[in-house]
Amino acid sequence: MENINDLKPQPKYWMSLDQWTQDPEFLKMAENEFLSSPLAEGSGQSGWARREFLKLMGASLALTTFGCVRRPVQKIIPYAKKPEEIIHGLPNYYSSSYFDGAEAFGIVVQTRDGRPIKIEGNTNHPATEGGMSARAHAHILKLYDPDRLKGPVKNLQNDAKTNNETINVTWEKMDEEIVALLKKGKVALLTSSLPSPASQKLISDFSNKSGAKSYVYDEIGYEAVREGRKLSFGDSSLPQIQLDQAKYILAVNNDFLGTWLTPVSFQRQFAKGRKPVDGKMSKLVVVESLLSMTGTNADERFKIKPSQTLDFLMGLAHELNSVMKVGGATSNSAITSALSRFKNVESTLGLPEGVISKIASEISKHRGQSVVLAGGMVSNSSDAVAIQVATNLINSILSNEGSTIGSGTSTAAQGSFEDVMSLIKSIESGNVETLVIHGVNPVFSLPESSGFQAALRKVSNVIYVGDRKDETGFQSDYIATASHALESWGDMESSAGVHSLQQPTIRPLYDTRSFEESLLVWTKALGGSGGLLESSSWYEYLKAYWKSSVYSKASSAKSFENFWNDSLKSGVVDLSGSKSLSRKSFQFQAISAISSSRSSISGMELSLYSTVGLGSGDLANVSWLQEFPDPVTKICWDNYFNFSIEDAKDLHISEGQMVSVKIGDKSQEGPAHIQPGQAKGVVGLAVGYGRTRGGKVCDGVGINAFNFAQVQSGELITSGLPIEVKVLKKSYSLACTQGHHSMEGRQIVVEETLAQFVKNPGGNVHRHKMMTMFEEHKYPGHKWGMTIDLNSCTGCGACVIACQSENNIPTVGKKYVLQGREMHWIRIDRYYVGEPENPNTVNQPIVCMHCDNAPCESVCPVAATVHSDEGTNDMIYNRCVGTRYCANNCPYKVRRFNWFSYTDVESPKHMAMNPEVTVRHRGVMEKCTFCIHRIKHTKQQTKLEGKTIQDGDLQVACQQSCPTKAIVFGDLNDPNSQVAKQFSEPQSYELLQELNTKPAVRYHTKVRNVETLKGAKGHGGSHAGDKEEHHS
Amino acid sequence: MGTIDQLISKVSSKGVEGFAGIWEDEHQFVEAARKTRESGVEGFEAISPFPLHGIDEAMGIPRSFIPWVTFFAGLTGGTFGLWFTWWTSAVNWPINIAGKPMWSLPAFIPIIFELTILFGALSSVGALIYICGLPKVDPPVIDPDLSCHKFGLFVPKTAKGFDQQKLTDLFNQMGALEVKETRF
Amino acid sequence: MIKRRPLVLGSKTYKDITDDICELVETFPPMKFFATLLSANFLFLIFVLAQGAIVFKGMGLMGVNHPVGWGTDIVTFVFWIGIGHAGTLISAVLFLFRQKWRTSIARTAEAMTVFAVMTAGLFPILHTGRPWLAYWLLPYPNQRGPLWVNFRSPLVWDVFAVSTYATVSIVFWYIGMVPDLATIRDRAKNPWRKRIYGALSLGWRGTARNWNHYEMVYMLLAGLSTPLVLSVHSIVSFDFAVATLPGWHTTIFPPYFVAGAIFSGFAMVVTLMTLVRILVPKFKDYVTMDHMEAMNKIIMATGLMVGYAYGSEFFIAWYSGVEYEQYAFLNRAFGPMAWSYWIMVTCNVLIPQVFWFKSMRRNIPVMFVVSIFVNIGMWFERFVITVTSLHRDFLPSNWGMFDFTIFDIGAIVGSFGLFFTLFLLYIRALPAISIAEVKPVLNVGREGGDHGHH
Repeated sequence: MENINDLKPQPKYWMSLDQWTQDPEFLKMAENEFLSSPLAEGSGQSGWARREFLKLMGASLALTTFGCVRRPVQKIIPYAKKPEEIIHGLPNYYSSSYFDGAEAFGIVVQTRDGRPIKIEGNTNHPATEGGMSARAHAHILKLYDPDRLKGPVKNLQNDAKTNNETINVTWEKMDEEIVALLKKGKVALLTSSLPSPASQKLISDFSNKSGAKSYVYDEIGYEAVREGRKLSFGDSSLPQIQLDQAKYILAVNNDFLGTWLTPVSFQRQFAKGRKPVDGKMSKLVVVESLLSMTGTNADERFKIKPSQTLDFLMGLAHELNSVMKVGGATSNSAITSALSRFKNVESTLGLPEGVISKIASEISKHRGQSVVLAGGMVSNSSDAVAIQVATNLINSILSNEGSTIGSGTSTAAQGSFEDVMSLIKSIESGNVETLVIHGVNPVFSLPESSGFQAALRKVSNVIYVGDRKDETGFQSDYIATASHALESWGDMESSAGVHSLQQPTIRPLYDTRSFEESLLVWTKALGGSGGLLESSSWYEYLKAYWKSSVYSKASSAKSFENFWNDSLKSGVVDLSGSKSLSRKSFQFQAISAISSSRSSISGMELSLYSTVGLGSGDLANVSWLQEFPDPVTKICWDNYFNFSIEDAKDLHISEGQMVSVKIGDKSQEGPAHIQPGQAKGVVGLAVGYGRTRGGKVCDGVGINAFNFAQVQSGELITSGLPIEVKVLKKSYSLACTQGHHSMEGRQIVVEETLAQFVKNPGGNVHRHKMMTMFEEHKYPGHKWGMTIDLNSCTGCGACVIACQSENNIPTVGKKYVLQGREMHWIRIDRYYVGEPENPNTVNQPIVCMHCDNAPCESVCPVAATVHSDEGTNDMIYNRCVGTRYCANNCPYKVRRFNWFSYTDVESPKHMAMNPEVTVRHRGVMEKCTFCIHRIKHTKQQTKLEGKTIQDGDLQVACQQSCPTKAIVFGDLNDPNSQVAKQFSEPQSYELLQELNTKPAVRYHTKVRNVETLKGAKGHGGSHAGDKEEHHS
Repeated sequence: MGTIDQLISKVSSKGVEGFAGIWEDEHQFVEAARKTRESGVEGFEAISPFPLHGIDEAMGIPRSFIPWVTFFAGLTGGTFGLWFTWWTSAVNWPINIAGKPMWSLPAFIPIIFELTILFGALSSVGALIYICGLPKVDPPVIDPDLSCHKFGLFVPKTAKGFDQQKLTDLFNQMGALEVKETRF
Repeated sequence: MIKRRPLVLGSKTYKDITDDICELVETFPPMKFFATLLSANFLFLIFVLAQGAIVFKGMGLMGVNHPVGWGTDIVTFVFWIGIGHAGTLISAVLFLFRQKWRTSIARTAEAMTVFAVMTAGLFPILHTGRPWLAYWLLPYPNQRGPLWVNFRSPLVWDVFAVSTYATVSIVFWYIGMVPDLATIRDRAKNPWRKRIYGALSLGWRGTARNWNHYEMVYMLLAGLSTPLVLSVHSIVSFDFAVATLPGWHTTIFPPYFVAGAIFSGFAMVVTLMTLVRILVPKFKDYVTMDHMEAMNKIIMATGLMVGYAYGSEFFIAWYSGVEYEQYAFLNRAFGPMAWSYWIMVTCNVLIPQVFWFKSMRRNIPVMFVVSIFVNIGMWFERFVITVTSLHRDFLPSNWGMFDFTIFDIGAIVGSFGLFFTLFLLYIRALPAISIAEVKPVLNVGREGGDHGHH
C-alpha cells in the first residue's frame, strides 16, 4: 500500500459520499487514511514500523496474560451538538404508521438520541387501538439490517440476467439513465398494493407522463374475496368486519386471528366479544384443514380438507335455507336448486353426525349477530371465488351482511394475479422495455410455473426499487435503493376514511430514497408539472395532497398548518364517521359462480399457509422473527411439511423425517412435522421461507413454498393442490422451543365452561391452604403485580418480540435453540388437551413470576438475585458469577443463561439496542425484570411533576403490545388499580401455588363457550405429540 | 536476611550436653526408663521411632492438655460463625432474600458447624507444633536408627540427679546396646 | 479370645519395615512407573485443554442447557468429593474404632482423599459462567458497600464445607507423615534429600513427651474429621435437597449421599490398592488379602445401603402423593434417560452382590473389576440425580434433554488424569505406608501374642 503522504491533496468535494462510493482510488486512499497499517510509519518498504511492532507485542502480551475475555472495550463519541427537542437520556416518541400486507398499524416510534429503537402501538388508531403484531415490532430491526444496500447500484447483466457484477452509482447518474429509458416509452410499473392515497395519486401522475401501465400484485392476495363480493354484491371492496358485534363466529379455513386481512384489529374486536358479560360471550367455531392460530382459540373445531371447503359451506347454506327455511332466499329457485346438490354432503365430508345441522341451528339463533368467515391461503383453492360467494350467501341468509360484515373502502390489497398474467403477456408481446418494480419480490414469491421469471429476463431494463439485492434485485439492471419506512414520509388509509401519517423518525442511514421520492424525481424529469407536481419534494407533495384531499374533507376550523401538525402528533385522522355498515343485498345470479367450478381430490393435497412470524417473507432477514416460535407448532428457524397424526401413522413418518413431496412434475424434499388437529389427507407448508438472496439471516432457511403454487385458468392456486408423498430414510432436526405438549394432568392452564364460569368463577381451580413459619416481609410502598387473562390471550406472540425489542434480548440461532438455549424473557406455552387427532389448544404466556418467596433468590451464593422493596425479583448482572443454581431452582424455568457472548452484534444492529437496559455479559443469568427501567422512569417523571404514580401511568412492554389487552400490570397496593381488582377476582389463580412461591403474577381461567370441556377433569391428560422430544 | 537468621537461631537447637543409652528391645527400654526415673533422675528424654505404650506412666508423663485447646478453639469458631452470619445477614447488610427472615438461623448452622471444626483442628495442630518446639532446623541426632528400630534414653548433664557413672551401670545392666556422651 | 490373623506378613523386624517402605522413596523409579505417569499426564493435558476452551469460549461448549443447568461438572464434583470420603473414614473413623488393620492402608487412603478433594474443588469453580469471579463466593470485606455472600445458599455452605474438609484432611495427612519423614531424613545419605525431608519433618525427634501430645492430637483430629466427613457430603447433598425440584427435594439425601460416598470411596481405595500391589509387590506383605477382603465387605454393605435408598426413594415418592414427585421417579426409571438409571442400579446394587462369596472377596481381578464398576455406577448415580431430575420438572413446556459434548468427556476423563498424576507422584515421593503406625501392630496375630498392646 502507498504511504498517505504520497497522495496528492484532494479537492474538498472528494469527500462527498457519491464520489466516494464511485471512485476506487478514493476508496484506497480512504483505506490508507483510516486504517492503520503496520507499514504506516515505515516509508513503504518491508518490515514493521516500530510503534506498530510494540503495539502488537503489547497486544499479544495482553492476550497471553488475559485468559478470560472481559467486557469488550468500545469506542465512545461525545455528544457535541444537541438538537433542542432531544433531551439526553429521555426518549422521544413520534407517531407514524406501519403497513403489513393488508393491515395498517398506527404506531408510535420510540427514538433515543435521534435513533429509533422501538415501535409501539398508537392508541389513537381506531383499528388497532395500540395493539401490535410480532412483525410490526420486528420491523425496527430491518432498519438496521446490515444486508441493506448503502446506495443506488447498477447491475451489469448479461442477457440471461445471471451476471452479478454490481457497481455503485450516484443518484444523479442513475436518474439520468433511467429517465432516458423512461422517455423511450414501453414502460410498465409493478407494485404491491400501496395503502397510501397520495402514492397512488403520484403513480397515476407518473403513468400519465411515462405512459406506464401500472400493475398491482400482492404476494398474499385477497382477489378472491374482492371477486366474491363483486359477484355477490356488485362491489369489489374488501369487507369491513365487526367481530365485537358477533355472538357467534364461524371461521371456515380462515385464520382471521393470525394471518387473514387485518389480524390485529380482529384480535382486538374478538377479545372484546370474549369477555363473559352477564353470562354471555361470543362462540368461535372453526372448521379448517390445518391447525391455525384461530383454530387454537376455537371453542369447537372440526376438520375438513381444503377441497371440501365449498361443500361444507354449501351444505350449511342448504341446511339454513332449504331445511330450516332461514333468510329471504328460501323461495328463490336458483338458490334452492343450486343448494339441493349439497343436500347430504356431511357424509362425504367425514364430519361427525349432525355437525352441520347443529352449527346451523346454533348460528341461526344469532341472526344479524353472527358472522361466517372464509378465505386466506388455505381456502384459496380452485374454488376460491365460489367459497367467497357461498360465504356471502350465508351471511346474507343470516342477515349478518350489513350488521357484522359489510362493504369497506380499504385501499389495501387491491393486487391481483390477473395483473401479473397480463404483465407477462405484454412482456411476451414485446410491449415492455422498461419495468419498474416496487414493494414486491416477484422472483421469490411467484412460482417458476407462472413464467414470470422467464418473462423478466426478456425485459431489457428492470428497475427495482427495493432495499437490497434480493431475488428480484439480482435480476434487475438498476436498484434505486429504497429507504426504510421509518426513514421516509407517507400516509395510509387503512379503512374508509381513517387516514394516518407515516413520518420518518431518522434521517436515511444510507444514501437511499423512498419509492415515492424517486418516482417524483422521474415524473418531474419527464416534464411533469402543474398541480401537486409543483412540489419540490415528496414531503411537499404529500402535504399538498393532504391539503387538497384530507383537510378539505375534515372540515376543521383549524388552519391547515395546525391541522397538519395535529395530525402528525396524533398520527391519525378519523373521518370514517358512523360505524354502521351499509347493507348490501345478495345478487342471486352469483350462485352460478358455484355451479361452474367444483374441485375434488382423491389423494393427498397440499395447502400453503402463511405464518404469524414471517408472513410473505419480506421480513425474513430479521433474526427475531426467524427465532420467533410459531404460535401453533412452536418451531422456529424452518418451515416444514405438516402432516396429520393419522397420515403420519399410515405413512410411518416420524417427527423431523425427511419426505419428498411431488407436485406435478416438480418434487421437493423437506422435513416433516406431525401436527395434532390437522385434517387427514392434508399436507401444509408455510410460505416466506427458502429465501436465496434475502440476507445472511434468512438465506437457505427452509424451502420456498411459493414455488408450489399453481396457475390454473389464470388464477394462482395455493391450496387443494394434489401431491404425492414419498418418505425418505433421512431425518432432520426441527428447532422446537417446546418439547412436550401435554399438561400431564397438572393444574397449569385451568379451563372452565361458560356455564361453570357463570355459576362459580374459578370453580375448577384446585386451591391449597398455604402456611408460613415466619413473619413475612412487608411492601409498604408500591407492590408491582401482573395478571394474565388466558381467556383473552390468543397466543399471537406480539409480546415476545416486544420484549425482545425492549430488553435487548439476543437471538442464538437454530443450533442453540435445539439445545433449548433461546433467550426469550416471555414465552408462550401451548398445550393440547383432549384426543391428539383433534385437541383443544390452550396458550399460556409465561414471564418471571417475581415470587415473594422466590426459590431462585435463596440459592444464589452471591446474592445476585434479590427481592426489592417493591416486590420485584431483581437480577444484578454484574454480581452474577453464573452458577445457574437459580435457573435450576426456578419451578417456572423463566431464567435464561448467556452461554456464550451474545452481545457483539454486527453493525449497525447495535443501534437498535435500548440504552435503558443493560446488555448482558457472557456467563450471567437473565430474566424478565417487569421492565424495571420503565418503572424507574415513570417514578422519576411523576416525582418531577410532584405527583404519585396513577394506575395506567405505567405499562410494561408486553402489556403495551398485547392486541387483546390480556396482560395487566400495576400496583397491587393501590386498591383501585385494575391489577389489584383482577388479582382478587375469583377466577384468578397462581401457577404452582402449592410450592408457596407467592407469585406476583396471576392467571385468569380460560373460559370455553361449550357444554363440556375436552379432557374433562384434570386438565389434559392426553399425550398429544409425546414423541416430539425436539431437544434430543 | 537478618530476620531470617534470627528466625533460624530461634528454631535451631544445638542441643544440650548429656549422656545416652541405646536399646533394641522396646520392653527392656521401657523398664530402663522406669528404673532411671525411680533412681531419682528427672527431666530425661526417651526417644523411640513410634509411640510406646507404657512409656508415659514409666516416665510419669501426664495426659496431654491439648484437648482443652481444641475445646475452646472450637467454641470460639462456633461463636464467631454465629456472630458473623448474624452480623452480615441481619445487621450490616439486611436484604430480603426469598422472603426469608434476615436472620435465618437454620440456614446458617452449616457455616457455624464448619467453622467450629476448622478452628478446633487447626489450633490443636498449632498447639502440638508449639509444645513440641517445632519446627527445628537440624537438631543433633544421637543415633539415626532411633527413628527406625532402636530406642534411646538421654539424660542432660543439667538434669536433677545426673550421675554419669550410676547411669552407665544402670543402662548396661538394663541391656543397653551402647552408652555414650552426646548432645541432644 | 479368638486367634487374630497377622496384619503384617513374612515375619518382619522393625528394620525390615523401615527398609521396605522407604525403599520406594529412596530408589530411582522403574520405567513402568514413568510410563504410567506419562499416560496420567496425557489425560491431565486433556483436562486442561477442555476446561481451558470452556473458560475461554463459554459454558455453552458443554452439554448443559435450559432446563438442564447442571451437568457433567457438578456430577463429577460430587463424584470426586464422594471418593475422598473413604480416606477420611479409614484414617479417622476406623482409628476411633481401634481397627488396627487400617494402619497399612490409612496413609494412601488419606492421600486419595486429599487428591480427590483437590480434583473435586476445581469443578464448582469451572462450572460457573464467569470462573474468574469465583472468589466472590468468599465473604471477604470489600469496597462495594456492605456486600456479603448469601449464607442461605447451599453453594456457600459448600465453599465452607469443602475448604474446611480439604484443610483438615491435608493437615491430618501431613501430621501423620511427620515421624516417617523424620525417619527418611535420618536414613538420607544425600545432603539435599536430608535437607528437604528434614524441613518436611519439621525436625521431629520422637521423644516420649512429643509422642504423648502427638497421639493426643492425632486422636483429636480423627475425632474432628469424623463429624466433618459426615457433614461434608450431607452439605453437598443439600445442594439438591434444599431445592424445590422434584427428585432433589428429598430428606433422605444426607445419609444416602454419605453412604454412597463411602461406597464409591472404598471402591476407589480397592482400585488403587490393587494397582499399588501390582506396582510394588513388596507391599503385598502390608496390604494383605485380609485388608482387601475387609474393604470388599464394606463395599458390599454400603452397596446394600445405597440400594435401600434407591428403593425407599420410590416408596416415598409414591407415598407422598405429590404428582410431580411421582412423575420424577417414574421418569427416572422409565423416561427417555432411563438408561442412566439402569446403569446405576446394575453397577451399584447388582454387581457388588458377588462379594457374598468369600472366594470372590479374596480374588484380586474380581475385586478390581467390581471396584471399577462401582465407580462408574456412582458417577451415574449423581448423573441420574442431577440431570434426570432437571430435564423434566414442573411445567411440561420446559421439558428438555441432555446430550454430552466432547468437552463433557474431556472434563470427566481429564479429571482422572489430574488425580492419578498427583497420586503417582505421591507414591514415589512420600512414605506410602505409615511406618510409625505399622510398627506397633507388627506383632498382632504373631506367635507369642499381641505384644504391641499392653
